[in-house]
Amino acid sequence: MLLATASALAPALAAPEDAVDPDWILSRLARPAPSQTPFVELRNSRLLKEPLRVSGTYRRPDAATLVREVASPYAETTTLHAGEAVIERDGKSRRFSLSRVPELAGLQASFGALLSGDGDRLRRHYAVSSEGSRGHWRLLLEPRDAALAARVQRIVLHGRGSELRCIESIPADDGAVQRTLLAGAARDAASVGTAEALAALCSGDARE
Amino acid sequence: MSARKRLAFAILWLALLLLAGAWLGRTLQLSGDLRKFMPDPRTPAQRLLIDELGEGPGSRLLLVALSGEPPAVLAQQSQALRERLSASPAFELVANGGETGLEAVPERLRPYRYLLTSSFDAHPLDAARLQAQLAERVQDLGSPAAPLLEPLVPADPTLETLKLAEAWQPATAPQRLYGAWFDRAGRRALLLAQTHAPGFDPDGQQRAMDALQAAFEAVRGDTGTVMQATGPGAFSVEIGNRTREEAGWIGSVDTIALVLLLWFAYRSWKAPLLGVLPLASAGLAGLVAVALLFDGVHGITIAFGFTLIGVVQDYPIHLFSQQRAGMSPFDGARRIWPTLATGVASTCIAYLTFLASGVDGLQQLAVFTISALAMAAIATRWLLPALMDPVPARDAANSHALAALWHRISKLPRPRIALGMLALAAAAVVAFAPGPFWENDLAKLTPVPPDALRLDAQLREELGAPDVRYVIALEAGDAEAALRGAERLRPVLDALVASGAIAGYDSPARYLPSAAVQQARQARLPDPAALRGMLDAALADSPFRPSVFEPFLADVEAARQASPLRPADLAGTPLAPRVDGLLLQRDDGATALVALQGLAEPQAVATTARAAGAQLLDLKQASESLVADYRGRVLWALGAAAILLALAVLLALRSWRRTARVLAPMLLATLVILAVLRGCGVELNLFHLVALVLAAGLGLDYALFFEHAGDARDDQLRTLHAIIVCSITTLLVFALLALSSIPVLRAIGSTVAIGVAANFVLALLVARQPAVRA
Repeated sequence: MLLATASALAPALAAPEDAVDPDWILSRLARPAPSQTPFVELRNSRLLKEPLRVSGTYRRPDAATLVREVASPYAETTTLHAGEAVIERDGKSRRFSLSRVPELAGLQASFGALLSGDGDRLRRHYAVSSEGSRGHWRLLLEPRDAALAARVQRIVLHGRGSELRCIESIPADDGAVQRTLLAGAARDAASVGTAEALAALCSGDARE
Repeated sequence: MSARKRLAFAILWLALLLLAGAWLGRTLQLSGDLRKFMPDPRTPAQRLLIDELGEGPGSRLLLVALSGEPPAVLAQQSQALRERLSASPAFELVANGGETGLEAVPERLRPYRYLLTSSFDAHPLDAARLQAQLAERVQDLGSPAAPLLEPLVPADPTLETLKLAEAWQPATAPQRLYGAWFDRAGRRALLLAQTHAPGFDPDGQQRAMDALQAAFEAVRGDTGTVMQATGPGAFSVEIGNRTREEAGWIGSVDTIALVLLLWFAYRSWKAPLLGVLPLASAGLAGLVAVALLFDGVHGITIAFGFTLIGVVQDYPIHLFSQQRAGMSPFDGARRIWPTLATGVASTCIAYLTFLASGVDGLQQLAVFTISALAMAAIATRWLLPALMDPVPARDAANSHALAALWHRISKLPRPRIALGMLALAAAAVVAFAPGPFWENDLAKLTPVPPDALRLDAQLREELGAPDVRYVIALEAGDAEAALRGAERLRPVLDALVASGAIAGYDSPARYLPSAAVQQARQARLPDPAALRGMLDAALADSPFRPSVFEPFLADVEAARQASPLRPADLAGTPLAPRVDGLLLQRDDGATALVALQGLAEPQAVATTARAAGAQLLDLKQASESLVADYRGRVLWALGAAAILLALAVLLALRSWRRTARVLAPMLLATLVILAVLRGCGVELNLFHLVALVLAAGLGLDYALFFEHAGDARDDQLRTLHAIIVCSITTLLVFALLALSSIPVLRAIGSTVAIGVAANFVLALLVARQPAVRA
């Protein structure tokens, strides 16, 4: 609470121009529902020859719901609401509870907290820290929940100013990093082909 | 013996009784099993009810609702509650909507999915289908479900595991939030818990409810969550507790009033102490006799037995009232003995008929009552006099009030015609009062509060819990044949669901196909070479790495070689309790049960089931017919008992005239009780019947004592005193019981209270000795 008050006062106190802290980032990221942002995701799997690239839109029709709409290479809608995920594809739907997929529960918790600017809620689920400058920051989330920590070592959010550009999920085991490019980065990704280039775009190192 | 010594002996006697009672209470295995108290089943529905079920698959289900906190919190608590209850021996199966992870299915059984799934019945697995499935799996790996599905895909590319898990979920499951079932409003987390104990085992149900409560307390922590539980088990526990509570306070008030009354009647504090000894000894003797002769003592035997031996409380009163200065208590006992012995002996002889009833519970009741009555008579005749003070505090014959009353009574007419009219009128009321004569629905005796019933209906509807009253049963020679029958029934049941006759059903075939079906599926599975060919073709242009699916090839081959899965193979898996609950196996056959949900048209379902070789069992009707059978036997036994009783009294009195004078008030009183009850619209049940027997026993004693009162005025006065004290104490005890809110207690209380009043008045009018001038 003290931190939140401090962050609200931050501009008035004329903090150094380029310094960045988690609360500054959170205050910038907050978006009232409904909101939406395009995404490009690279899904790695040990079963697949190469990562799968899907793109579409993340939507937040209301504060309690997160919808992931895949538009390409196929149509698929995932609705996360009240601890449950429903995936619809080709008129068939599959339902499972988020408690069985800690990764997803973490995603929803972080997304929800981020977009509502609720730093306290985010800190209940993660140890939060930040790096970089206002023009190019990284928000680091380390899961507190044991089930999630067993699967995900760290979630790194990359952004510029008030734009969240990429979410990187770094697994606890030696599995592959999963990347979701958002907003401007997702639009930029349209013209990018290779996985390496997308990874670079995610971390913001790519030239524009 | 000095007064002090006598008192010491009396207290010693009481202490011994209390000690023995406490010891018996701990060692005696009381069985609450209603089945042993029932006659042997005759119809299939009765047999199922008695031998297998209790009262249907639904009778072991507790419906549990958690509310009062946000859904996410409730869901977590629901999960924690499920884990705790699953570990408790009191519960067989707990469901809260949480998916059972694959880890619950043992590794050795996983290849069996290809024998359990119906996916390939219509279209066998081929290259094209496999290719389509693989394409879908690629999309799955790109979806948020990837972490869940990725581990399954190599061995199970068509995801049969998930299809089976879905098929095993209840047909009409409530909505799920945060991984747990919730009601439509999303405010109550719902769970279903199947108790290990059958519904008719109140102790087992009590243990289950205690375990549930303890688990909930642990799970709730310091949150504001509230738990509600309904279902037959929860109800029986609640009603049992209420009955105990109410019987408890009525008993306490009765005890105090009894002590005061006896003190007042004999102006001695010793009267209540000595007065309780025969009854307590009688109860103990009855218990010991039953414990020695039978395996387990029924709770109902005790309850009925103690009701019936209420008559024993009168024995010491007769003894006390006969006491006077100048006559030793032993002489008093000797005086009343012929009368007392006639009553006891004829009653005992009458109860002998229960021994021939063929029902274990009734035989126990007979042994209990006969030993108790005999013990009480012996105690009153030979033990009690030794402890009584030789000179009473007062002689009943000296009471002026009593003398005045006696004088007035002696002026009373001995009506014959009027009583004949009364008998006719009572008989007419009994015969012509509207409404059914008998109440067969035992559930009405133990009414569930309307709030609880409403909650139960709500939860049952939300959870799609099975109907408690109806179940479809299919008899077969063995488990395999029963499963085949259940499979044949499925299209029929699906049609019933489609037509709205039922909302859903649960059949053992849903969990375990018959061996025949499994073998047919086995025959259609491709051999290793063919499957590898299909896989290679399907993988040609696929993003999957080629070597990923070796576990799939191994599992299909394992399924192809396996011997079919039998019910016994399921032991220890989450499927076992479901299959065991619906597939009942005996040495000489098996019964498949189909539990029904939302039964709207019993008639249509009955017809359809019969056409398909099965039977719709109405368990309520079965239990009512059992009760009716039971009552039939009791009535026969009572009829025979009445005749034996009359013969015994005739033998003792050696006069038709005197026998008629003794028995007429009792018979007429019984008729009057029946008329009053019927006139008030009461439907009679077993408890009324037992109470009628007690009332008749009391009436017999009143009449015998009035008839034997003796020729001297003082003797008649003392007898009058005794019978007045007897009837007032009994009336008090049972009138209080009649005020109870519990119908069982009310039935016994009202019947006996009316009976005491009627018997007293009628015995006075008919059986009293002609008065003699003082």
